[in-house]
Amino acid sequence: MGDWRFHTPDGVQDGLPDDCARKRAIESALRAVFAARGYLEVETPGLEFYDVYATGRGLAPQEALFKLFDSQGRILALRYDGTVPVARLAATLMKDEEPPLRISYVGGMYRSAGAGGGKQSEFTQAGVELMGPRTAEADAEVIATAIAAARAAGVESLQVAVGQVEFFKALLEEWGLSEEDAEPLPGLIDAKETLALEEIADRTGLPAAAREALLLMASFEGTFDTLDRMEALTRSPRALAALRNLRDVLRLLEEDGLLRYVSVDLGMLQSLDYYTGIIFKGFTYGIGFPVLSGGRYDNVVAEFGRALPSTGFSLGVNLVMAALRRQGSVPPKAGPDTLFGYDPSVRARAMAFVAQERAGGRAVAVDVQRRSAPELRAEGARRGVARVLYMDAEGTVR
Amino acid sequence: MVTGKDTLTIALSKGRLAEQTLDLLQAAGYDTSCARSGSRKLILEDEKAGLRFILAKPADVPTYVEYGAADIGVVGKDTLLEEGRRLYEVLNLGFGACRMCVAGPAWMAGKLDGIPNKRVATKYPRIAREYFELKKRESVEIIKLNGSVELAPLVGLSEVIVDIVESGRTLRENGLEVLETIADVSARMVVNRVSLKMKSERIGALVAAVRAEMARTGVKG
Repeated sequence: MGDWRFHTPDGVQDGLPDDCARKRAIESALRAVFAARGYLEVETPGLEFYDVYATGRGLAPQEALFKLFDSQGRILALRYDGTVPVARLAATLMKDEEPPLRISYVGGMYRSAGAGGGKQSEFTQAGVELMGPRTAEADAEVIATAIAAARAAGVESLQVAVGQVEFFKALLEEWGLSEEDAEPLPGLIDAKETLALEEIADRTGLPAAAREALLLMASFEGTFDTLDRMEALTRSPRALAALRNLRDVLRLLEEDGLLRYVSVDLGMLQSLDYYTGIIFKGFTYGIGFPVLSGGRYDNVVAEFGRALPSTGFSLGVNLVMAALRRQGSVPPKAGPDTLFGYDPSVRARAMAFVAQERAGGRAVAVDVQRRSAPELRAEGARRGVARVLYMDAEGTVR
Repeated sequence: MVTGKDTLTIALSKGRLAEQTLDLLQAAGYDTSCARSGSRKLILEDEKAGLRFILAKPADVPTYVEYGAADIGVVGKDTLLEEGRRLYEVLNLGFGACRMCVAGPAWMAGKLDGIPNKRVATKYPRIAREYFELKKRESVEIIKLNGSVELAPLVGLSEVIVDIVESGRTLRENGLEVLETIADVSARMVVNRVSLKMKSERIGALVAAVRAEMARTGVKG
């Protein structure tokens, strides 16, 4: 048997002081962004009943849930994401709260086999859910919040790709493909495999307009003109309404001066069982995975018995930290700003002085080894603490 | 890691595929001389052009690209299917064309479905599993081998194999034949999902140039 006592399990990490300090600073900045927009933070448990995630067609893949059993043999799952527990909360303990509900969270998420963002098994996500309104304003508000959050966390070069999964679902309905032919389409479009899409279009005899729409969705030169071209390729009122919704959201973001962060990608077709409208992902340099993602999920809260159309996003704090590091931003050294020692004969006065310093906002580490002033200064030099103070027997601080 | 806004990192599959890729890029107007120095370096950089090539084992190319250690990769579809990474597959480059097949003794032709509890020897356990379990809804025993897979049915290690078939000569010489075709495979250009957003202009230009060159020489991509 291996001896694992010196190791941490796959996909989890210790946070050393410098990184931990930066992480807390980022979390505080995110909380401030959320609070300033009226989102109220909640805390959901680290353990949920497995049923919470197994409801409906499954709100999380079974194989990515960490599972254990409680004393009655019921299956539990470690918290997989922020949204589903909040959806449960909105439909149970908060069921009498009038919409809109503005809820935020910051917490650790757990996904087995490194299924989490950046292939981690444990990671921190911060996010918001805006529950109730089914408006373009709500979608735009959540995207704007996501951009503000990423900026506050220190991400300078941010690109947010915005898509609309309802548009694709409506096209599928319009085309009337068999389930078998339709099944591989989202994956192929999402991976931009145009060749395979052409084959399917040929085999199923899709009309020219449908074929063009299919390939346009998978093309990666997605810009705002894409929307104009798409509009001419469908007659489905449902698809056109979805496009209009996307346009409305983009117009609102333009009015907010956020369009420079935004691009259009109608080919983003992930988690189609979960998302029902706008979907978006945020990218930056330094990390091969999106640092934030979100979208509209109108049917998730209904799984818990309350009809509450919702939209939200989450940002991966660890991913942002990895990106910042690779972009060359080294976390500042964590530590006290003052080292303080004193002559044992004046301890009471020394402690009063320290209390005063701390009340003034200083982080003061007090010597507990009765070291002399020169010893303390040497210690300060070694630890990189510039401010070293010593109270001598006369009560003078130098 | 999708860093250097100004550098485009391309992961090449060591061997013939790398040569063909460099030829194609050269013909498409990119100076690839830095990658042809014949040195044993694994990273070959043309700083002025902002182009960097890394030479990796083919099976590792999708990994480099998925994590963003390379923006672009060129690798066989067989490797992509086996690795199952989340990437954009933007171009079929056409070269390295062959088929992923189920092969076995000739007498099995047309009788494959009637053989219960098949053992399948392969270098591609994921492709084999997905084909039999998801597509044919049949439970099989997968036996992972690392080469000379044709040997397995001859010595009774497995009933059939799943492998790449180019001309079929190796199969024939060993008394085996193609029983079913799983997929056509050839070299693909893949792109990291973040790179495509963050470096869309440069990557778009490269893909367009390669596509134009392929159209000129009559390869359908």
